[in-house]
Amino acid sequence: MGAEVSERKLIREAQRGSGEALAALYAMHWPRAQRAAYLVVHDAAAAEDIAQEAFLAAVDGLDRFDRRRPFAPWLHRIVVNRAIDWGRREALRAGGGEPEERAAPSHADEAAGELMPALAQLPPEQRAVVVLRYLLEYTPGEIGRMLELPRGTVNSRLRRGLDRLRDLIEVEG
Amino acid sequence: MSEDRLRALLRKEPLPGAAEAKRRGLALVERAYAERRSANRPVLPRLAVALAAAALLAALLLSPAGAAVRSWIGDVFTAGVRNARPALTEVPGGGRLLVQSSRGPWVVQPDGSRRLLGRYEEASWSPHGLFLAAASGRTLSAIEPGGTPHWSISAAGPVSDPRWSPSGFRIAYRAGHSLHAIKADGTGDHLLGQAAPIAPAWFQLGTHLLAYVDRARQLRIAETDTSRTLASTAATAGVTTLGWSADGRFLLELTPHGLWLRRLRLDKLADRIRLGAARRVPLPAGVVRAAAFAPRRHTIAVLLERRGGAGAPHSEALLIDAGGGPPRRLFAVSGRLSQLAWSPDGSRLLLAWPAADQWLFLPVRQEDHLRAIGNIASVFSPGHAGAAQLPQIEGWCCPPAPSGSG
Repeated sequence: MGAEVSERKLIREAQRGSGEALAALYAMHWPRAQRAAYLVVHDAAAAEDIAQEAFLAAVDGLDRFDRRRPFAPWLHRIVVNRAIDWGRREALRAGGGEPEERAAPSHADEAAGELMPALAQLPPEQRAVVVLRYLLEYTPGEIGRMLELPRGTVNSRLRRGLDRLRDLIEVEG
Repeated sequence: MSEDRLRALLRKEPLPGAAEAKRRGLALVERAYAERRSANRPVLPRLAVALAAAALLAALLLSPAGAAVRSWIGDVFTAGVRNARPALTEVPGGGRLLVQSSRGPWVVQPDGSRRLLGRYEEASWSPHGLFLAAASGRTLSAIEPGGTPHWSISAAGPVSDPRWSPSGFRIAYRAGHSLHAIKADGTGDHLLGQAAPIAPAWFQLGTHLLAYVDRARQLRIAETDTSRTLASTAATAGVTTLGWSADGRFLLELTPHGLWLRRLRLDKLADRIRLGAARRVPLPAGVVRAAAFAPRRHTIAVLLERRGGAGAPHSEALLIDAGGGPPRRLFAVSGRLSQLAWSPDGSRLLLAWPAADQWLFLPVRQEDHLRAIGNIASVFSPGHAGAAQLPQIEGWCCPPAPSGSG
């Protein structure tokens, strides 16, 4: 509740011309926006572009923004939808195969972790719902509204995504 | 793996270059915010002053005293339009843009979001924007604006200049030195003739008539379904671009040094087209960088480049009535503009200003405002190291689609 009040106050001050308030909003939301984009697209430069675009859209729409609504879902909706678009486009460019068939990007090897190679095996739409659910902590209903999907579709994508990740990542917990 | 384990992995996954990205993002966002705040306060007076200065420049440059004020106006405009928006977050006036970058063609949606279609070397809209004709090597493809391919054919030579007919049922394209027409479902491909490296132009009123220049530099009008030539005459020397007016009455030939117009009359009894003699359009001295017919009637937008006393380029956007009358000057800047496209409703022109890395959305009616958007090149060259080039504007789409057509 306190965080919501603080965010509303920052939005109001940013709407009134406070650069400090805008910088505070940016500091509050950039890390998760960038991380969410990166986990969907697996490309650091593209994730940076996507997060930047989302914040520029926020600046552009700041005067019209309804302060009673939380800022993060609005921002995350832009980030994740653009990340999905990017992922689909790259899948097509990679040779016309379906996203499910594409090879893991080289970044997965560079990360040397177990998560990215496994996530890379999911199509962008599944990655997006996994990220929205388990990084950004949205409910399936909220994810459905953000991606304009039926709740059942969100649940099935989550289930399929989790099953696939379980197969790919060694069980530790 | 538990859900908590997945949460932990998602949170701790290293982000390459995160700190630098955050710093760059903040700088960009703060700049956008500052520009927006300043633009929101005095934008109208400043824009009005800028446009008035542009009009004054244009008037004065035509006068003997013009040289005296040229440098002053240059100070105002050479760095691009001030208060340009720092990011492409909408297409002013609406509609969708098709642009060609070094990475391939992009479709830009009205909200500024954009999609790279793939590794195509060029593309053009179908008449209602439901599809695009795209060329890659020796392959011609019909693809959806989302990038999904519908069909592809292989050609004998490198495919270029694909152009969808206004009816939506045919596509003309060049394959090497040959000009072909094909049905929009990818069947019925056939040779029309040998063509010069100039994009063909479709008759705008539904009949499948195509104007092109052949390798002997003859301007031809062909009925593509029968491959019959309905008219032929020597093309204007140096022609680089053909255009057909929306009302079908005029054919335009653009050369670097001028514009020529021919009147056309359909002789129904003889089943032929009468091509009038080429008439040079009176323009101020200069190089014609681009010209295009408006989506309605027969107004022509012309981008003219002139040279000042110090050799600095000076660009003007003019409107010309193909039926006659003096040019109307819309806009003038000290600098080089390079491209031109009409909005689907004919209310705006899109011009490119490479040195300023800006697109200018110029209203045709005086009551509307000029809108400029900056930082265009990098948007269409993500990940590009060094200075990127402005993409080529291929089209601004489209009127509403009637059912059952492309």
